[in-house]
Amino acid sequence: MAVTRIATSSLKSLNKYDSFLGGNAYYVPPSFESIATTTVGAGGSSTVSFSSIPSTYKHLQIRGLSRATAGGIGAFFIQFNSDTGTNYADHRIEGNGATAYTDRNTSAIRALSGLQAGSTTGANIFGGSVVDVLDYQNTSKYKTIRALSGIDNNGSGNIAFGSGLWMSTSAVTSITLIPENTAFAQYSSFALYGIKA
Amino acid sequence: MPAARYFIASTTVGAGGASSIDFTSIPSTYTDLTIKYSLRSSSTTDDYLGVKLSLNSSTTSFTIRQLYGTGTTASSANYSTNNPSGYMQAGLTTASTFASGDIYIPNYLVSQNKFFSTDSVAENNAATANFLSLLAGLWSNTAAITSISLTPATGNFVQYSTAVLYGIKNS
Repeated sequence: MAVTRIATSSLKSLNKYDSFLGGNAYYVPPSFESIATTTVGAGGSSTVSFSSIPSTYKHLQIRGLSRATAGGIGAFFIQFNSDTGTNYADHRIEGNGATAYTDRNTSAIRALSGLQAGSTTGANIFGGSVVDVLDYQNTSKYKTIRALSGIDNNGSGNIAFGSGLWMSTSAVTSITLIPENTAFAQYSSFALYGIKA
Repeated sequence: MPAARYFIASTTVGAGGASSIDFTSIPSTYTDLTIKYSLRSSSTTDDYLGVKLSLNSSTTSFTIRQLYGTGTTASSANYSTNNPSGYMQAGLTTASTFASGDIYIPNYLVSQNKFFSTDSVAENNAATANFLSLLAGLWSNTAAITSISLTPATGNFVQYSTAVLYGIKNS
């Protein structure tokens, strides 16, 4: 390959940089990254699971839009690392447009994570939810979730703010979401994000 | 994908605990700020208690509206101090449990009063020793926020307590 020498005197504008950045700012990647997304297909699904969760993040967040194949406005639950023992607790405040109330479960086999639509709610209506799992790798802490969810059914609906506890110091490596009523309906979708620190 | 957020700083409390968690020299390159915290107080006389927010070392000019729930009731309250700016676990609850909270501060650079919201939970495997809190806060100060401190209402933050500060850009 021929190499041609160019005289600097022939260049109209010449800047010399000591860095390959050439005067450009450093690129700083966002700390919020998609890990996996699951969308339920035709026929529904009895669970939605995320496995082999990377250990490269500080926090996890699940964002969902979901509906069950049975019942009315209902809930979905969370389990970690396939633990089905009575190692969970949850509490929530909930409102239905007229009344605010509370509910709880202790020493349960799963923690309530959010609200979602069901088969008797309006067609094509889904519940929205955001679930935070902070410090999911810390082996000196039980794992606490914090969740905000709601569903508006064009005339009815519920909103809930809740917490859940998994009484284990194990690092979270897998998450299973379980609907209260039968199965997640088609087009239900859950996205798992990792948040770096 | 949610709005892009960028890591600014993180603090994890070591053995011996800490009386505060401080973020200083906050860059002015973001639109909003958010703190995700996992905290527990050393207080042995409480199930849960408040986290106090200080902005630019100021602990005054705070007003707060709160919606909260325990295991049995949902209620509302208001405050004219920075306590509580959020909630956290304390020593009477199950060992190894830590509160989960998120403080959101929009438009932290504008020369207008500053607002913040906090959603926090102190979860516990018990019927009533539990606290859920949604807060809307106002700091009546027009200075750009350059530092943030979190302090427990009582006691110290215990080992493994952690808080992470993120910046959020609107573009």
